[in-house]
Amino acid sequence: MTEFAGKTILVTGSTRGIGAAAARLFLERGGSVILHGRRQADVDAAVARLSTTYSGRVRGLSADLSDRTACRALAASIETLDVLVNCGGIFHEAAIAETSPTLWDETVAVNLTAPWVLAQSLLPKLRASRGAIVNVASDAALLGYAGCVAYCASKGALVGLTRALATELTPDVRVLCVCPGPTETDMMRASISVAPDRDKARQQWASYTLLNRVASPVEIGEAILLAASPRASYLTGSLIMADGGATAGKRV
Amino acid sequence: MAEVTFDYGGRVALVTGAGRGLGFATAKTLHQAGATVAVNDRTAESCQAVIARLGGGPRLIAAPADLATTDGPVQAVAQATANGRLDFLINNAAVNVERPIAATDDAHWDQHLSVILRASFLTVQAALPFLRSSRGCIVNIASELGLHAIANNVAYVSAKHGLIAMTKAMAIELAPSGIRANAICPGTMDTELMQECARDSGDPESYYAAFNRYHPIGRLATPDEVAAFVLCLLSPAAAYMTGAAVAIDGGSTAGRL
Ligand SMILES: NC(=O)c1ccc[n+]([C@@H]2O[C@H](COP(=O)([O-])OP(=O)(O)OC[C@H]3O[C@@H](n4cnc5c(N)ncnc54)[C@H](O)[C@@H]3O)[C@@H](O)[C@H]2O)c1
Repeated sequence: MTEFAGKTILVTGSTRGIGAAAARLFLERGGSVILHGRRQADVDAAVARLSTTYSGRVRGLSADLSDRTACRALAASIETLDVLVNCGGIFHEAAIAETSPTLWDETVAVNLTAPWVLAQSLLPKLRASRGAIVNVASDAALLGYAGCVAYCASKGALVGLTRALATELTPDVRVLCVCPGPTETDMMRASISVAPDRDKARQQWASYTLLNRVASPVEIGEAILLAASPRASYLTGSLIMADGGATAGKRV
Repeated sequence: MAEVTFDYGGRVALVTGAGRGLGFATAKTLHQAGATVAVNDRTAESCQAVIARLGGGPRLIAAPADLATTDGPVQAVAQATANGRLDFLINNAAVNVERPIAATDDAHWDQHLSVILRASFLTVQAALPFLRSSRGCIVNIASELGLHAIANNVAYVSAKHGLIAMTKAMAIELAPSGIRANAICPGTMDTELMQECARDSGDPESYYAAFNRYHPIGRLATPDEVAAFVLCLLSPAAAYMTGAAVAIDGGSTAGRL
Protein backbone atom coordinates (compact mmCIF):
# COMPACT_ATOMS: atom_id res chain seq x y z
CA MET A 1 0.00 0.00 0.00
CA THR A 2 1.30 3.44 -0.88
CA GLU A 3 -1.36 5.67 0.59
CA PHE A 4 1.23 7.92 2.22
CA ALA A 5 3.82 7.89 -0.58
CA GLY A 6 5.52 11.27 -0.85
CA LYS A 7 4.13 12.40 2.50
CA THR A 8 6.20 13.38 5.50
CA ILE A 9 4.79 12.54 8.91
CA LEU A 10 6.12 13.61 12.28
CA VAL A 11 5.06 11.31 15.11
CA THR A 12 6.00 12.54 18.56
CA GLY A 13 6.65 9.93 21.20
CA SER A 14 7.34 7.27 18.58
CA THR A 15 10.24 5.33 20.04
CA ARG A 16 7.75 2.97 21.69
CA GLY A 17 4.09 2.34 22.37
CA ILE A 18 1.30 3.71 20.22
CA GLY A 19 3.58 6.21 18.48
CA ALA A 20 6.01 3.48 17.40
CA ALA A 21 3.15 1.36 16.05
CA ALA A 22 1.73 4.30 14.12
CA ALA A 23 5.16 5.22 12.72
CA ARG A 24 5.69 1.68 11.45
CA LEU A 25 2.25 1.68 9.77
CA PHE A 26 2.97 5.02 8.06
CA LEU A 27 6.23 3.54 6.74
CA GLU A 28 4.51 0.33 5.58
CA ARG A 29 2.13 2.50 3.57
CA GLY A 30 4.79 4.50 1.83
CA GLY A 31 5.26 7.53 4.09
CA SER A 32 8.47 9.21 5.19
CA VAL A 33 8.53 9.36 8.96
CA ILE A 34 10.27 11.61 11.42
CA LEU A 35 10.51 9.67 14.64
CA HIS A 36 10.69 11.56 17.89
CA GLY A 37 11.62 10.73 21.45
CA ARG A 38 12.96 12.48 24.50
CA ARG A 39 16.40 10.83 24.50
CA GLN A 40 18.63 10.87 21.43
CA ALA A 41 19.86 7.33 22.14
CA ASP A 42 16.30 5.96 22.03
CA VAL A 43 15.63 7.84 18.82
CA ASP A 44 18.82 6.52 17.22
CA ALA A 45 17.91 2.98 18.20
CA ALA A 46 14.38 3.34 16.78
CA VAL A 47 15.70 4.81 13.54
CA ALA A 48 18.24 1.99 13.25
CA ARG A 49 15.53 -0.64 13.80
CA LEU A 50 13.36 0.70 10.99
CA SER A 51 16.08 1.81 8.56
CA THR A 52 16.92 -1.73 7.50
CA THR A 53 13.45 -2.14 5.98
CA TYR A 54 12.58 1.47 5.18
CA SER A 55 15.94 2.92 4.30
CA GLY A 56 15.87 6.56 3.21
CA ARG A 57 12.41 7.18 4.64
CA VAL A 58 13.16 7.28 8.37
CA ARG A 59 14.90 9.90 10.39
CA GLY A 60 14.68 10.96 13.98
CA LEU A 61 14.73 14.00 16.22
CA SER A 62 14.90 14.26 19.99
CA ALA A 63 13.29 16.92 22.14
CA ASP A 64 11.93 17.14 25.66
CA LEU A 65 8.24 17.89 25.13
CA SER A 66 7.98 19.65 28.48
CA ASP A 67 10.39 22.26 27.11
CA ARG A 68 8.74 24.72 24.70
CA THR A 69 12.04 26.00 23.38
CA ALA A 70 13.01 22.44 22.47
CA CYS A 71 9.62 21.94 20.76
CA ARG A 72 10.13 25.09 18.72
CA ALA A 73 13.64 24.05 17.75
CA LEU A 74 12.32 20.67 16.66
CA ALA A 75 9.65 22.35 14.53
CA ALA A 76 12.21 24.70 13.00
CA SER A 77 14.40 21.79 11.91
CA ILE A 78 11.61 20.32 9.79
CA GLU A 79 11.37 21.63 6.22
CA THR A 80 8.15 20.20 4.89
CA LEU A 81 5.39 18.37 6.69
CA ASP A 82 2.11 16.74 5.72
CA VAL A 83 0.98 15.22 8.99
CA LEU A 84 1.72 16.08 12.60
CA VAL A 85 0.81 13.32 15.03
CA ASN A 86 0.95 14.53 18.62
CA CYS A 87 1.32 11.20 20.37
CA GLY A 88 3.88 11.91 23.08
CA GLY A 89 2.30 11.95 26.49
CA ILE A 90 2.79 11.12 30.15
CA PHE A 91 0.58 9.44 32.71
CA HIS A 92 1.25 9.43 36.43
CA GLU A 93 -1.27 8.12 38.88
CA ALA A 94 -1.84 10.43 41.82
CA ALA A 95 -4.88 11.24 43.92
CA ILE A 96 -5.98 14.87 44.05
CA ALA A 97 -4.29 15.37 47.41
CA GLU A 98 -1.04 13.82 46.16
CA THR A 99 -0.80 15.68 42.85
CA SER A 100 2.03 18.16 43.36
CA PRO A 101 2.04 21.41 41.39
CA THR A 102 5.13 20.05 39.63
CA LEU A 103 3.32 16.90 38.54
CA TRP A 104 0.36 18.99 37.40
CA ASP A 105 2.58 21.34 35.41
CA GLU A 106 4.60 18.58 33.81
CA THR A 107 1.48 16.67 32.77
CA VAL A 108 -0.12 19.76 31.23
CA ALA A 109 3.15 20.79 29.57
CA VAL A 110 3.70 17.46 27.83
CA ASN A 111 0.11 16.41 27.09
CA LEU A 112 -1.33 19.78 26.11
CA THR A 113 1.17 22.58 25.67
CA ALA A 114 3.61 20.59 23.52
CA PRO A 115 0.89 19.66 20.99
CA TRP A 116 -0.16 23.30 20.95
CA VAL A 117 3.37 24.65 20.47
CA LEU A 118 4.15 22.10 17.75
CA ALA A 119 0.88 22.81 15.94
CA GLN A 120 1.45 26.54 16.09
CA SER A 121 5.09 26.34 14.99
CA LEU A 122 4.47 23.86 12.19
CA LEU A 123 1.36 25.60 10.92
CA PRO A 124 2.93 27.36 7.92
CA LYS A 125 4.29 24.02 6.71
CA LEU A 126 1.00 22.22 7.30
CA ARG A 127 -0.92 24.97 5.51
CA ALA A 128 1.45 24.76 2.57
CA SER A 129 0.86 21.02 2.24
CA ARG A 130 -2.85 21.25 3.14
CA GLY A 131 -1.97 18.73 5.77
CA ALA A 132 -3.47 17.28 8.90
CA ILE A 133 -2.93 17.27 12.64
CA VAL A 134 -3.81 14.19 14.67
CA ASN A 135 -3.85 14.61 18.42
CA VAL A 136 -3.79 11.47 20.51
CA ALA A 137 -5.88 12.09 23.60
CA SER A 138 -7.58 9.36 25.62
CA ASP A 139 -10.98 8.09 26.64
CA ALA A 140 -10.04 9.89 29.89
CA ALA A 141 -10.72 13.14 28.03
CA LEU A 142 -14.42 12.27 28.26
CA LEU A 143 -14.54 9.87 31.19
CA GLY A 144 -13.38 10.80 34.65
CA TYR A 145 -11.06 8.31 36.29
CA ALA A 146 -10.13 8.43 39.96
CA GLY A 147 -6.47 8.96 40.77
CA CYS A 148 -5.33 10.76 37.64
CA VAL A 149 -6.92 14.19 37.73
CA ALA A 150 -4.03 15.94 35.97
CA TYR A 151 -4.03 13.40 33.16
CA CYS A 152 -7.81 13.66 32.66
CA ALA A 153 -7.67 17.48 32.65
CA SER A 154 -4.78 17.58 30.18
CA LYS A 155 -6.45 15.14 27.78
CA GLY A 156 -9.80 16.92 28.01
CA ALA A 157 -8.00 20.14 27.16
CA LEU A 158 -6.36 18.39 24.20
CA VAL A 159 -9.84 17.67 22.83
CA GLY A 160 -10.57 21.40 23.20
CA LEU A 161 -7.32 22.22 21.42
CA THR A 162 -8.34 19.89 18.58
CA ARG A 163 -11.69 21.59 18.17
CA ALA A 164 -10.27 25.10 18.44
CA LEU A 165 -7.59 24.38 15.84
CA ALA A 166 -10.06 22.67 13.52
CA THR A 167 -12.41 25.64 13.75
CA GLU A 168 -9.71 28.16 12.97
CA LEU A 169 -7.68 26.22 10.38
CA THR A 170 -10.50 25.02 8.20
CA PRO A 171 -10.35 24.34 5.27
CA ASP A 172 -6.54 24.39 5.00
CA VAL A 173 -5.65 21.87 7.68
CA ARG A 174 -7.82 19.09 9.06
CA VAL A 175 -7.44 18.53 12.79
CA LEU A 176 -8.57 15.33 14.47
CA CYS A 177 -8.33 13.63 17.80
CA VAL A 178 -7.90 9.92 18.33
CA CYS A 179 -8.93 8.84 21.81
CA PRO A 180 -7.43 5.48 22.71
CA GLY A 181 -8.91 3.41 25.48
CA PRO A 182 -6.67 1.19 27.62
CA THR A 183 -3.78 0.08 25.40
CA GLU A 184 -1.03 -2.43 26.15
CA THR A 185 2.01 -0.12 26.18
CA ASP A 186 4.74 0.70 28.68
CA MET A 187 2.44 3.40 30.04
CA MET A 188 -0.10 0.78 31.04
CA ARG A 189 2.51 -1.78 32.07
CA ALA A 190 4.06 0.76 34.44
CA SER A 191 0.71 1.38 36.06
CA ILE A 192 -0.02 -2.35 36.34
CA SER A 193 3.44 -3.11 37.73
CA VAL A 194 2.83 -1.01 40.84
CA ALA A 195 -0.62 -2.47 41.49
CA PRO A 196 -0.91 -4.83 44.48
CA ASP A 197 -2.60 -7.49 42.30
CA ARG A 198 -1.37 -7.26 38.72
CA ASP A 199 -3.86 -9.65 37.15
CA LYS A 200 -6.68 -7.81 38.79
CA ALA A 201 -5.27 -4.47 37.60
CA ARG A 202 -5.05 -5.73 34.01
CA GLN A 203 -8.60 -7.08 34.16
CA GLN A 204 -9.73 -3.75 35.66
CA TRP A 205 -8.39 -1.88 32.60
CA ALA A 206 -10.05 -4.35 30.26
CA SER A 207 -13.34 -4.10 32.11
CA TYR A 208 -13.65 -0.40 31.28
CA THR A 209 -14.29 -1.38 27.65
CA LEU A 210 -17.22 -3.08 25.96
CA LEU A 211 -14.81 -5.43 24.20
CA ASN A 212 -13.51 -6.42 27.65
CA ARG A 213 -9.88 -6.33 26.57
CA VAL A 214 -7.10 -3.81 26.23
CA ALA A 215 -6.01 -2.65 22.77
CA SER A 216 -2.76 -3.46 21.04
CA PRO A 217 -0.81 -0.37 19.95
CA VAL A 218 -1.33 -1.35 16.31
CA GLU A 219 -5.10 -1.12 16.71
CA ILE A 220 -4.72 2.50 17.83
CA GLY A 221 -2.14 3.13 15.12
CA GLU A 222 -4.76 2.13 12.53
CA ALA A 223 -7.14 4.76 13.87
CA ILE A 224 -4.36 7.37 13.68
CA LEU A 225 -3.65 6.43 10.07
CA LEU A 226 -7.30 6.68 9.18
CA ALA A 227 -7.43 10.18 10.66
CA ALA A 228 -4.33 11.21 8.72
CA SER A 229 -5.42 9.62 5.48
CA PRO A 230 -6.88 11.47 2.49
CA ARG A 231 -9.69 8.93 2.81
CA ALA A 232 -10.75 10.94 5.85
CA SER A 233 -11.10 14.13 3.79
CA TYR A 234 -14.49 14.99 5.32
CA LEU A 235 -13.36 14.43 8.90
CA THR A 236 -12.24 17.45 10.85
CA GLY A 237 -12.64 18.54 14.46
CA SER A 238 -13.93 15.12 15.38
CA LEU A 239 -13.02 12.54 17.94
CA ILE A 240 -12.25 9.02 16.82
CA MET A 241 -12.98 6.95 19.88
CA ALA A 242 -10.60 4.00 19.57
CA ASP A 243 -11.61 2.82 23.01
CA GLY A 244 -13.25 -0.57 22.65
CA GLY A 245 -16.54 1.11 23.42
CA ALA A 246 -15.47 2.55 26.77
CA THR A 247 -17.28 5.84 26.21
CA ALA A 248 -20.28 4.23 24.50
CA GLY A 249 -21.60 2.36 27.48
CA LYS A 250 -20.86 0.37 30.57
CA ARG A 251 -20.96 -3.35 31.15
CA VAL A 252 -22.97 -3.81 34.33
CA MET B 1 -37.67 35.25 36.52
CA ALA B 2 -39.38 32.78 38.83
CA GLU B 3 -38.14 33.10 42.38
CA VAL B 4 -36.64 30.02 43.97
CA THR B 5 -35.25 30.54 47.41
CA PHE B 6 -32.56 28.63 49.23
CA ASP B 7 -31.46 28.72 52.83
CA TYR B 8 -27.72 28.45 53.16
CA GLY B 9 -27.51 29.78 56.72
CA GLY B 10 -24.43 28.44 58.50
CA ARG B 11 -22.76 27.44 55.23
CA VAL B 12 -19.47 28.88 54.05
CA ALA B 13 -18.71 29.44 50.35
CA LEU B 14 -15.67 30.60 48.43
CA VAL B 15 -16.35 32.29 45.10
CA THR B 16 -13.28 33.02 43.00
CA GLY B 17 -13.17 35.99 40.66
CA ALA B 18 -16.10 37.55 42.49
CA GLY B 19 -15.14 41.12 41.62
CA ARG B 20 -17.74 41.43 38.91
CA GLY B 21 -19.81 39.51 36.42
CA LEU B 22 -21.07 36.03 37.28
CA GLY B 23 -18.72 35.74 40.27
CA PHE B 24 -20.22 38.85 41.83
CA ALA B 25 -23.77 37.69 41.06
CA THR B 26 -23.04 34.30 42.66
CA ALA B 27 -21.49 35.84 45.77
CA LYS B 28 -24.46 38.20 46.07
CA THR B 29 -27.05 35.44 45.65
CA LEU B 30 -25.31 33.14 48.12
CA HIS B 31 -25.05 35.97 50.63
CA GLN B 32 -28.75 36.75 50.23
CA ALA B 33 -29.44 33.06 50.88
CA GLY B 34 -27.74 33.34 54.26
CA ALA B 35 -24.33 31.88 53.48
CA THR B 36 -21.04 33.25 54.68
CA VAL B 37 -19.23 34.17 51.50
CA ALA B 38 -15.50 34.46 50.96
CA VAL B 39 -14.95 36.86 48.10
CA ASN B 40 -11.87 36.27 46.00
CA ASP B 41 -10.53 38.62 43.38
CA ARG B 42 -7.09 39.71 42.27
CA THR B 43 -6.78 42.66 44.65
CA ALA B 44 -7.80 43.46 48.21
CA GLU B 45 -9.45 46.69 46.98
CA SER B 46 -11.67 44.80 44.60
CA CYS B 47 -12.69 42.31 47.31
CA GLN B 48 -13.44 45.17 49.71
CA ALA B 49 -15.50 46.93 47.05
CA VAL B 50 -17.65 43.82 46.63
CA ILE B 51 -18.05 43.47 50.38
CA ALA B 52 -19.12 47.11 50.61
CA ARG B 53 -21.60 46.66 47.75
CA LEU B 54 -23.11 43.71 49.60
CA GLY B 55 -23.47 45.76 52.79
CA GLY B 56 -20.54 44.38 54.81
CA GLY B 57 -20.94 42.39 58.00
CA PRO B 58 -19.57 39.20 59.52
CA ARG B 59 -20.83 36.94 56.73
CA LEU B 60 -18.44 38.40 54.19
CA ILE B 61 -14.75 37.45 54.09
CA ALA B 62 -12.15 39.03 51.84
CA ALA B 63 -9.95 36.41 50.18
CA PRO B 64 -7.78 38.37 47.75
CA ALA B 65 -5.20 36.42 45.75
CA ASP B 66 -3.92 36.35 42.22
CA LEU B 67 -4.97 32.91 41.07
CA ALA B 68 -2.53 32.96 38.17
CA THR B 69 0.31 32.47 40.66
CA THR B 70 1.33 29.17 42.25
CA ASP B 71 0.51 30.28 45.79
CA GLY B 72 -2.60 32.34 44.96
CA PRO B 73 -5.14 29.50 45.03
CA VAL B 74 -3.84 28.22 48.38
CA GLN B 75 -3.93 31.74 49.82
CA ALA B 76 -7.51 32.25 48.68
CA VAL B 77 -8.59 29.00 50.35
CA ALA B 78 -6.60 29.77 53.51
CA GLN B 79 -8.41 33.08 53.95
CA ALA B 80 -11.80 31.55 53.18
CA THR B 81 -11.30 28.76 55.72
CA ALA B 82 -9.91 30.90 58.54
CA ASN B 83 -12.89 29.80 60.64
CA GLY B 84 -12.25 26.14 59.87
CA ARG B 85 -15.17 25.50 57.59
CA LEU B 86 -15.95 25.37 53.88
CA ASP B 87 -19.07 23.94 52.25
CA PHE B 88 -19.05 25.30 48.74
CA LEU B 89 -16.24 26.06 46.34
CA ILE B 90 -17.18 27.94 43.17
CA ASN B 91 -14.31 28.20 40.70
CA ASN B 92 -15.41 31.12 38.58
CA ALA B 93 -12.35 33.27 37.92
CA ALA B 94 -11.25 33.40 34.31
CA VAL B 95 -9.72 35.55 31.64
CA ASN B 96 -11.01 35.49 28.11
CA VAL B 97 -9.05 37.39 25.51
CA GLU B 98 -9.64 36.42 21.89
CA ARG B 99 -6.50 35.90 19.81
CA PRO B 100 -5.84 34.19 16.50
CA ILE B 101 -3.44 31.25 16.63
CA ALA B 102 -0.47 33.20 15.30
CA ALA B 103 -0.83 35.90 17.96
CA THR B 104 -1.27 33.50 20.87
CA ASP B 105 2.04 33.88 22.70
CA ASP B 106 3.29 32.02 25.76
CA ALA B 107 2.11 34.66 28.22
CA HIS B 108 -1.42 34.56 26.79
CA TRP B 109 -1.53 30.76 26.79
CA ASP B 110 -0.17 30.50 30.34
CA GLN B 111 -2.51 33.15 31.74
CA HIS B 112 -5.60 31.32 30.45
CA LEU B 113 -4.39 27.87 31.43
CA SER B 114 -3.35 28.93 34.91
CA VAL B 115 -6.39 30.99 35.90
CA ILE B 116 -8.99 28.67 34.38
CA LEU B 117 -7.49 25.20 34.84
CA ARG B 118 -4.53 25.12 37.21
CA ALA B 119 -6.06 27.44 39.82
CA SER B 120 -9.29 25.44 39.82
CA PHE B 121 -7.28 22.32 40.56
CA LEU B 122 -5.20 23.95 43.29
CA THR B 123 -8.20 25.50 45.10
CA VAL B 124 -9.91 22.12 45.22
CA GLN B 125 -6.75 20.47 46.48
CA ALA B 126 -6.34 23.07 49.23
CA ALA B 127 -10.03 22.95 50.14
CA LEU B 128 -10.23 19.15 50.22
CA PRO B 129 -9.88 18.59 54.00
CA PHE B 130 -12.68 21.11 54.63
CA LEU B 131 -14.92 19.75 51.87
CA ARG B 132 -14.42 16.25 53.26
CA SER B 133 -15.69 17.21 56.68
CA SER B 134 -18.61 19.25 55.36
CA ARG B 135 -19.38 16.72 52.59
CA GLY B 136 -19.24 19.81 50.45
CA CYS B 137 -19.82 20.71 46.90
CA ILE B 138 -17.72 22.05 44.02
CA VAL B 139 -19.09 24.00 41.06
CA ASN B 140 -16.66 24.81 38.28
CA ILE B 141 -17.77 27.54 35.93
CA ALA B 142 -16.83 26.23 32.51
CA SER B 143 -18.41 27.58 29.33
CA GLU B 144 -20.22 26.42 26.24
CA LEU B 145 -16.69 26.70 24.85
CA GLY B 146 -15.85 23.70 27.02
CA LEU B 147 -18.28 21.73 24.85
CA HIS B 148 -17.52 23.08 21.40
CA ALA B 149 -15.17 25.64 19.86
CA ILE B 150 -15.10 28.96 18.09
CA ALA B 151 -12.15 30.38 16.15
CA ASN B 152 -9.63 32.83 17.63
CA ASN B 153 -9.88 31.58 21.19
CA VAL B 154 -7.61 28.55 21.34
CA ALA B 155 -6.27 29.02 24.88
CA TYR B 156 -9.70 29.64 26.41
CA VAL B 157 -11.36 26.75 24.53
CA SER B 158 -8.59 24.34 25.55
CA ALA B 159 -8.69 25.42 29.19
CA LYS B 160 -12.49 25.19 29.46
CA HIS B 161 -12.54 21.72 27.88
CA GLY B 162 -9.87 20.71 30.38
CA LEU B 163 -11.94 22.12 33.23
CA ILE B 164 -14.87 19.88 32.32
CA ALA B 165 -12.65 16.79 32.12
CA MET B 166 -11.09 17.75 35.45
CA THR B 167 -14.55 18.11 36.99
CA LYS B 168 -15.45 14.57 35.93
CA ALA B 169 -12.21 13.12 37.34
CA MET B 170 -12.83 14.94 40.62
CA ALA B 171 -16.44 13.80 40.75
CA ILE B 172 -15.38 10.18 40.37
CA GLU B 173 -12.54 10.38 42.86
CA LEU B 174 -14.52 12.31 45.47
CA ALA B 175 -17.90 10.57 45.17
CA PRO B 176 -17.03 8.06 47.92
CA SER B 177 -16.27 11.00 50.23
CA GLY B 178 -19.70 12.51 49.64
CA ILE B 179 -18.26 15.50 47.80
CA ARG B 180 -20.06 16.45 44.59
CA ALA B 181 -18.35 18.23 41.70
CA ASN B 182 -20.22 19.65 38.73
CA ALA B 183 -19.51 22.09 35.94
CA ILE B 184 -21.84 24.55 34.30
CA CYS B 185 -21.38 25.70 30.74
CA PRO B 186 -22.88 29.16 30.30
CA GLY B 187 -23.49 30.64 26.91
CA THR B 188 -22.93 34.36 26.54
CA MET B 189 -23.85 36.39 29.60
CA ASP B 190 -24.57 40.06 29.63
CA THR B 191 -21.75 41.00 32.00
CA GLU B 192 -19.51 44.05 32.25
CA LEU B 193 -17.08 42.21 30.01
CA MET B 194 -19.72 41.91 27.28
CA GLN B 195 -20.67 45.54 27.65
CA GLU B 196 -17.02 46.55 27.28
CA CYS B 197 -16.62 44.40 24.17
CA ALA B 198 -19.82 45.81 22.70
CA ARG B 199 -18.61 49.34 23.33
CA ASP B 200 -15.18 48.58 21.83
CA SER B 201 -16.78 47.15 18.71
CA GLY B 202 -18.01 50.64 17.82
CA ASP B 203 -21.47 49.29 16.98
CA PRO B 204 -22.95 47.89 20.20
CA GLU B 205 -26.35 47.28 18.66
CA SER B 206 -25.23 44.89 15.92
CA TYR B 207 -22.67 43.38 18.33
CA TYR B 208 -25.49 42.38 20.67
CA ALA B 209 -27.77 41.39 17.79
CA ALA B 210 -25.18 38.91 16.51
CA PHE B 211 -24.84 37.31 19.94
CA ASN B 212 -28.60 37.19 20.41
CA ARG B 213 -28.95 35.34 17.10
CA TYR B 214 -26.22 32.91 18.10
CA HIS B 215 -28.29 31.72 21.06
CA PRO B 216 -31.56 30.08 19.89
CA ILE B 217 -33.41 31.55 22.88
CA GLY B 218 -32.73 34.92 21.25
CA ARG B 219 -31.11 36.80 24.11
CA LEU B 220 -28.08 36.69 26.36
CA ALA B 221 -28.17 35.16 29.82
CA THR B 222 -28.25 37.40 32.86
CA PRO B 223 -25.59 36.70 35.47
CA ASP B 224 -28.36 36.49 38.08
CA GLU B 225 -30.17 33.64 36.36
CA VAL B 226 -26.93 31.69 35.96
CA ALA B 227 -26.06 32.37 39.62
CA ALA B 228 -29.50 31.07 40.60
CA PHE B 229 -28.68 27.84 38.81
CA VAL B 230 -25.39 27.58 40.69
CA LEU B 231 -27.38 27.75 43.92
CA CYS B 232 -29.62 24.94 42.61
CA LEU B 233 -26.57 22.79 42.02
CA LEU B 234 -25.38 23.40 45.58
CA SER B 235 -28.77 22.47 47.02
CA PRO B 236 -30.22 19.10 48.06
CA ALA B 237 -32.32 19.31 44.88
CA ALA B 238 -29.11 18.36 43.08
CA ALA B 239 -28.00 15.78 45.66
CA TYR B 240 -27.80 13.05 43.00
CA MET B 241 -25.83 15.17 40.52
CA THR B 242 -22.13 14.80 40.26
CA GLY B 243 -19.68 14.91 37.34
CA ALA B 244 -22.18 16.71 35.14
CA ALA B 245 -21.34 19.48 32.69
CA VAL B 246 -24.62 21.32 32.36
CA ALA B 247 -25.13 23.62 29.40
CA ILE B 248 -26.96 26.79 30.34
CA ASP B 249 -26.52 28.40 26.96
CA GLY B 250 -29.91 29.26 25.49
CA GLY B 251 -29.69 26.19 23.26
CA SER B 252 -26.39 27.13 21.67
CA THR B 253 -24.74 23.71 21.93
CA ALA B 254 -28.00 21.87 21.26
CA GLY B 255 -28.16 22.65 17.55
CA ARG B 256 -28.37 25.21 14.77
CA LEU B 257 -31.24 27.66 14.45
N1 LIG C 1 -19.48 36.31 30.18
C1 LIG C 1 -19.81 35.27 29.45
O1 LIG C 1 -20.51 35.43 28.45
C2 LIG C 1 -19.36 33.89 29.82
C3 LIG C 1 -19.75 32.81 29.03
C4 LIG C 1 -19.37 31.52 29.39
C5 LIG C 1 -18.62 31.31 30.51
N2 LIG C 1 -18.23 32.37 31.26
C6 LIG C 1 -17.44 32.11 32.45
O2 LIG C 1 -18.09 32.64 33.58
C7 LIG C 1 -17.13 33.06 34.53
C8 LIG C 1 -17.36 34.52 34.87
O3 LIG C 1 -17.28 35.31 33.70
P1 LIG C 1 -17.61 36.87 33.70
O4 LIG C 1 -18.23 37.20 32.42
O5 LIG C 1 -18.28 37.17 34.94
O6 LIG C 1 -16.10 37.45 33.65
P2 LIG C 1 -15.53 38.84 34.22
O7 LIG C 1 -14.33 39.14 33.42
O8 LIG C 1 -16.60 39.85 34.28
O9 LIG C 1 -15.12 38.42 35.70
C9 LIG C 1 -14.04 37.57 35.93
C10 LIG C 1 -13.55 37.77 37.34
O10 LIG C 1 -12.41 36.93 37.55
C11 LIG C 1 -11.40 37.68 38.16
N3 LIG C 1 -10.07 37.18 37.85
C12 LIG C 1 -9.45 37.12 36.64
N4 LIG C 1 -8.19 36.70 36.78
C13 LIG C 1 -8.00 36.49 38.09
C14 LIG C 1 -6.89 36.08 38.86
N5 LIG C 1 -5.70 35.82 38.28
N6 LIG C 1 -7.02 35.97 40.18
C15 LIG C 1 -8.21 36.26 40.77
N7 LIG C 1 -9.29 36.66 40.11
C16 LIG C 1 -9.18 36.79 38.78
C17 LIG C 1 -11.60 39.09 37.62
O11 LIG C 1 -10.98 40.04 38.46
C18 LIG C 1 -13.12 39.20 37.61
O12 LIG C 1 -13.62 39.61 38.84
C19 LIG C 1 -15.79 32.79 33.90
O13 LIG C 1 -15.32 31.53 34.32
C20 LIG C 1 -16.09 32.77 32.43
O14 LIG C 1 -15.13 32.03 31.71
C21 LIG C 1 -18.59 33.66 30.94
